[in-house]
Amino acid sequence: MPQLNPEFFVSQLFWLAVFFIFLFVFLWRVSLPRIATVLEKRQNKIDENLSSAKELQEQAMEIEKKINDQINKAKLETDEKIKETINALQEDVSSQLSSLDKDLEKKVSDAEKEILKSKDDQMKNINNEIINITKLTVGKITDIELSDNELNKVIETHKGNFN
Amino acid sequence: MAAKDSPLKQFEIDPISNIELGGYDISFTNSSFAMLITVLVITLFLTLTVNTRSIIPSRMQLISELMYNFIAQLLSDTVGDNGKRYFPFVFSLFMFVLIGNMVGMIPYQFTFTSHIIVTFALAAVVFIGVTILGFINHGIKFFTFFYIPGVPFYMHPLLIPIEVISYLSRPISLSVRLFANMLAGHTLLKVFAGFVVSMPFFTGVFPLAFIVALTGLEILIAFLQAYVFAILTCLYINDAYHLH
Repeated sequence: MPQLNPEFFVSQLFWLAVFFIFLFVFLWRVSLPRIATVLEKRQNKIDENLSSAKELQEQAMEIEKKINDQINKAKLETDEKIKETINALQEDVSSQLSSLDKDLEKKVSDAEKEILKSKDDQMKNINNEIINITKLTVGKITDIELSDNELNKVIETHKGNFN
Repeated sequence: MAAKDSPLKQFEIDPISNIELGGYDISFTNSSFAMLITVLVITLFLTLTVNTRSIIPSRMQLISELMYNFIAQLLSDTVGDNGKRYFPFVFSLFMFVLIGNMVGMIPYQFTFTSHIIVTFALAAVVFIGVTILGFINHGIKFFTFFYIPGVPFYMHPLLIPIEVISYLSRPISLSVRLFANMLAGHTLLKVFAGFVVSMPFFTGVFPLAFIVALTGLEILIAFLQAYVFAILTCLYINDAYHLH
């Protein structure tokens, strides 16, 4: 078995020491720090991105809160305005209604007065007509000339019967 | 010495250039060459792929980062925060064994991890380092590592020697595990490769198919043994910090 032949033991140990020490020192001093730098750099970058993402998220939440606040505020304001408008309109309507009522009442009373007046006028006319007809009838039948005053007196005495 | 066609011939060491230093033969051999390739592959790969240091990694850079995180995770899981100081060592150990095993999977390429002297040297470094670390951290109290609390007193004469022996056998078990796995796998591959040639007609395809499957298994084992070597090193370091 060549492994147990001590002929090359010293040579093997010597070259093993040379190469392994070289490898160890090279990795320790050159390669591993390089990889470590890269990994550290990446970790820093990731941490940085994470923290900035967190910050942005917080900002977004703040903005969302602001928006919600404003929406609520606007809602309240709108409700208030709607209420105010409704109240104003109701007042307006009721005042207009009352003024219309007054107008109507006035018109009704005016019309009543008019009707009464025209009734009086009509009654006077009727009186005149009665007088005329009576005069005519009496003149045709009898040749008696009745004066207006006499007729009026008669009419006045019988007025109750007309109505 | 193995015969010409022996399955063990692949483990023979051939000097490429003869060097002598202070009376010792330190020839540059095929084993040294495999180590050189391993070290070159690791250093070049880990250096070039991370050269751009981009935050969004390329695929190759991602592989380097995955290996880095793999060992960093392993170390922090087993040792905790204390483990960070030993990261370069454990990482070097893992990469050296892993790529050494993988280089060995290339046909005609030498596998230096199949030599007990190499794996034992690595395990010895771990063992001696961890023992020194234990004495630095706990001083003379480190010997209480062999004393298991909560056991009936009459058991201690039995348990303490067992603990001492198991502690002392750590470098042996660590090194033999890796060495034996590599030795067995490569020998098995070679034996079946011999069958492919020696079997009559087309029947050689059966051992060939087996070799293909076994190669996949060996690549898995190459990774697994490197992982086991690294995780046991982590556990030993942890023991040096936390006594029973």
